[in-house]
Amino acid sequence: MMKEEEEEEEERESGLVRLCIEAASESKESIEIWRRQRRTLEKMPTPLAEALLRRLLRRRLLSPSLLEVFQQCIEEINLQGENFVDSEWMAYLGAFRYLRTLNIADCKGINNSALWAISGMDCLKDLDLSRCTKVTDAGVMHLISIPNLEKLSVSETSLTVEGVKHLSSLRKLLLLDLGGLPVTDMALCTLQVLKKLEHLDLWGSKISNSGATFLKTFVELRFLNLAWTKVTKVPYLPSLSCLNMSNCSIMSIFEDGYCGVKHPHLARLQLHGVSFTDVHEALSFLDPSRLSFLDLSNSSLCDFQFLLNMTALEHLDVSFSRMEDDSVDLIGRVGANLKFLNLSNTRLRSAGMESLAGFIPIIETLILSHTAVDDFALPYIGMMPSLKVLDLSNTNVKGFCHMLGNDQEEILSLIALQNLTHLERLDLKETQVRDGALQPLSCLEDLKFLSLKSDFLTDVSLLFLSSFPKLKYLGIRGAVLTSAGIQSFNPPPMLKILDLRDCWLLTEDALLSFCENHPQIEMRHEQFDTGSTAQIASGNASSAHGTSRTVQLKPKWAKMSSPPSRFQKEIFVDERRKYSREELLELQFSPLSQVSAR
Amino acid sequence: MKKEDTVKLISAEGFEFVIDKNAAMVSQTIRNMLTSPGSFSETQHGVVRFPEISTPILEKICQYFYWSLQFASGKETEFYIEPELTLELMMAANYLHT
Repeated sequence: MMKEEEEEEEERESGLVRLCIEAASESKESIEIWRRQRRTLEKMPTPLAEALLRRLLRRRLLSPSLLEVFQQCIEEINLQGENFVDSEWMAYLGAFRYLRTLNIADCKGINNSALWAISGMDCLKDLDLSRCTKVTDAGVMHLISIPNLEKLSVSETSLTVEGVKHLSSLRKLLLLDLGGLPVTDMALCTLQVLKKLEHLDLWGSKISNSGATFLKTFVELRFLNLAWTKVTKVPYLPSLSCLNMSNCSIMSIFEDGYCGVKHPHLARLQLHGVSFTDVHEALSFLDPSRLSFLDLSNSSLCDFQFLLNMTALEHLDVSFSRMEDDSVDLIGRVGANLKFLNLSNTRLRSAGMESLAGFIPIIETLILSHTAVDDFALPYIGMMPSLKVLDLSNTNVKGFCHMLGNDQEEILSLIALQNLTHLERLDLKETQVRDGALQPLSCLEDLKFLSLKSDFLTDVSLLFLSSFPKLKYLGIRGAVLTSAGIQSFNPPPMLKILDLRDCWLLTEDALLSFCENHPQIEMRHEQFDTGSTAQIASGNASSAHGTSRTVQLKPKWAKMSSPPSRFQKEIFVDERRKYSREELLELQFSPLSQVSAR
Repeated sequence: MKKEDTVKLISAEGFEFVIDKNAAMVSQTIRNMLTSPGSFSETQHGVVRFPEISTPILEKICQYFYWSLQFASGKETEFYIEPELTLELMMAANYLHT
């Protein structure tokens, strides 16, 4: 589970409930006391039991035998990525009487015999085995005995065509994820008996155009993923609302079986990295006014005339395409509903932004990184008052510009952003913004994330960066900050992460004393490399399974300024059992251990 | 203390806890009972029975009410929960929305 979700969960639980869960998962000793209260455990409401279980798992206090006490009250369990989950765990999970959802994706300890324990479980409806690489066709024999299975993910396991064919006996399946498996046209033919399928994932399979025609028999199909396949023609699938054809060569979508009525339901189309024979022809069989999500990133498109009637678009990604200033005008014409627009790595310049100003009234996310836009685009961006996320990294923005016809007078161009009162994330990495130019930003009161990276920035910038009331992440990477500067820096009140990587002038002593003075702030710098920093800083938590296991050095409940003393004691008692080897190595370099070693 | 400023909470075994109304209001469930207009007899008499909550748990709950008020007013102390009480207390707290 990701950090943010954990925080949300804690907010949802009311005060005393959370204190109880914390007390119950305090140590092995406290568990030994309550685990004998069997009758109480049996009548415990499911949401409470599940919250306690999640907490125990996070604290590394869950063991197979402890699972037994929960067997009457758990309906859903997520063990994704926990490599210690093995046959013994599964034996206990198999005895859970009401288990409906089981996620053991990325559990490297799961093999075919481990699955035997859950065979025949008639309560189980949702099973995720993605990337359990030891599961082979023999494991499928256990799976097909689970009579009420509705959702099954076996992507990137070691199943072969034969194993996939056997899945056809799971007649109640609504969702089947076969991503990354060698599914052939013949295997798909066998699966045609799964009449209820609504969601089918076939990315990276061996399906060809002739196999794709079998898809017509799935009359309920709403989601289809054919990315990385040889399919070039998708037949008319009337109920489809989501299609992913990324990295395919597309000739046509919905031409085969087309009966004169444009496809009425398709709302999401993911076409990352596709090549078209003729894009206008390929897209002519779907109703453009229904499409709300369109991803055309990494496609080599340069003609965007097909955008003209896509008036319902909310999400448009044309990054790494050959979009130029002239075609940006087309986006403006269909921009009324647009909330997300990614134009990074295109040939966009400031002139193109002019044709967007005023035409994308409810835009929330605008990504312009790696384009040639400069300070003259900022006034146009200032006319998009609903913006929450703005990425201007790696652009030509300098933070000031000259008045026309007057080379002497400089204007602070970031002033234009002061209108963006809802702005939460601003990325100005790798721009030429200098110290003084940052001053106008200080009135952005909703800002939570500010990322800067430039060797033009010095201690002077820190003066402007103290006042953001909601700022949680501040990155000032590669700046010429001095130890004296950082010691006198008064961080914003809500700051949680201060990223000072590549600030090479800072000494370890200066950083340590800053950490001591501000224990609530997580410091990122080469001096204490925790390994997980890169993943979090990129904001891409979804792909980083490791983030959930980063060591928590701060007290969980920020309001509780003095953490319970028993808790601290316990950390030192049971160090080896609580943390994995990687985490211990991380701890070695953490500020806490360095402080105590001194 | 005036009678109308207090409430009486009665445990499964019949033990009566008389506490400040303000403290009892920490529980969203009790707050609803005491403040909702009309039919609840609890509203009129200031007496709430908890046939599902045992005496030691209800006592702990009352302690929590007062602790919570103190915590909110800035006195940040630790609220200790005995491990043997955690499960039952958790269920009672869940019921009381506290």
